[in-house]
Amino acid sequence: MKASPSTIFGLVFLPLAAILALGLAPHAVVVVWSFWAWDPSTYWIKPDFSLAGYAAILEAGRWTVILSTLVKALLAALICLVIAYPTAYAVTFLASRRLAVVLLALMTIPFFTSYLIRSFSWRLVLGRTGVVNTFLQDVGLTSAPIDWLLFSDFAVMVGLVASYLPFATFPLVLAMGRVDRIVLSAARDLGAGFWTVLRTILLPLTLSGVFAGFLFVFVMVAGSSTEVQMLGGAGASIVSVMINDVMRVANYPLAFAISTIVLAVILGLVLIGNWTFGLARLFEDRAQ
Amino acid sequence: MTRDEPFARFVVWTLTLLGFVAIYAPPLYLLGVSFNPSLQPGLPSPSEGTLHWYAALAGERALLAALWHSLVIATGTAVAATLLSLLAALAYVELHARRATWFLVVVLPMFVPGVIQGLALSTILTRTGIKASALTVMAGHLLWAMPFAFIVILTSFAAVRRSFLMAAADLGASRWQQFRDVTLPLITPGLVSAFIFSFLLSINEFTRAFYLAGRQNTLPVVLFGKMNAGASPTIYAMSGAIFLVSVLCVGAIAVRALLRRPQR
Repeated sequence: MKASPSTIFGLVFLPLAAILALGLAPHAVVVVWSFWAWDPSTYWIKPDFSLAGYAAILEAGRWTVILSTLVKALLAALICLVIAYPTAYAVTFLASRRLAVVLLALMTIPFFTSYLIRSFSWRLVLGRTGVVNTFLQDVGLTSAPIDWLLFSDFAVMVGLVASYLPFATFPLVLAMGRVDRIVLSAARDLGAGFWTVLRTILLPLTLSGVFAGFLFVFVMVAGSSTEVQMLGGAGASIVSVMINDVMRVANYPLAFAISTIVLAVILGLVLIGNWTFGLARLFEDRAQ
Repeated sequence: MTRDEPFARFVVWTLTLLGFVAIYAPPLYLLGVSFNPSLQPGLPSPSEGTLHWYAALAGERALLAALWHSLVIATGTAVAATLLSLLAALAYVELHARRATWFLVVVLPMFVPGVIQGLALSTILTRTGIKASALTVMAGHLLWAMPFAFIVILTSFAAVRRSFLMAAADLGASRWQQFRDVTLPLITPGLVSAFIFSFLLSINEFTRAFYLAGRQNTLPVVLFGKMNAGASPTIYAMSGAIFLVSVLCVGAIAVRALLRRPQR
């Protein structure tokens, strides 16, 4: 039954060529170019070794944007886990089969809808004349619209969580699906309450799902731009938006240097994650 | 597990609901606003709901040109992503020891930030003298859509039991016949899903297209400009319509696929 090497080569060739040509090659070139020097005479870079791009990251408070991106990613990933863990629990253990199907479908849909439109729609909800402000004034909690709801770090965080929540839910649903229910019933029969079962049995058994969910959200937020562009205040930034701004003035060495650092961090995290819990294993029981 | 304390159940369901509200309430509200005849954003009362702004879309030439361009790009992306992901999934099944590595290679592009991928690809294309066009956007979108299409097709391979193929082989079927007569019919739903998902990913993609689009921008790039230049009700209508169509497509596929999955 084993396929011949030529069969495998034939199957691998086209997808691999696309990934190498469109993915690996351009990014490898960007990494190499990030070490080249700027040439004012051609408005392009020349092959002289230079760390000027990296040095420029330390100027003009750019490193604070990188730092704040990491903080945003960390915070969003933690919030997503707090919401996604109960969601996965409800889908796996509480919901009837029909409800579980509906909830899973509702979690699948956001992957394929527009992040732009979803971020934009928060403007209608959080704005000065938006739903939240109108409601708060109607019930008399505030007399004037609250300004920090929109175009603020708060709005960005809300948008990020709403955008990337399903990236945390899916690994958790897969992890919980593999938990042997008999183990949980045994704990119940021996008198353990919900929180004890959660802390001593369910959480340890689903730790790989927790790590995977955290990692996915962290990585997606670290590379996001739309939420900040749509919901951030004046001067709000995140690494991807900073790259956009740097490219607007055609500062290639700096843009390449930032990109290289982001790529290194993200790919490093994904590889560490893959090494500790195995990305492919997440899908193993589905794809034989 | 029906013996959870009421308080625990309450916490679990509240947080679950909170997540779904955060995902769905704002876009659905935007969809509702798009039926409001007034220029001020707000939900219309049921009696005054109107399709006025949808009719007004017919006069928005820039939006329609962008929509048409996006449809062409999405179709091309979906065809290429489905075919390449099918090959990749077949390779995954045949590769035994090294399948985890192959999985990582195909899925890794999913994690590369759109801005960086768009910047890298557009810089290379500009430097090699390739003009930005529908093809360059498709190139960027292909890399973005392939991981999703690959995972969807891989999931559909669960229907292809090893024993089916062995039986076919015992009866004298060649590898090609096994693929054509056994595997392909079983994974066809997966291929259809992968096609539709890739199509939607492409038509909704913004950051890569921002860098890779030529003279004719794609729909999300045009929408982005108009959203920031003082949103008008026609923008709500276009956004609402795109969101609704995406939800219906994915929802139908997801429910169908989940209901077919064997119970455990």
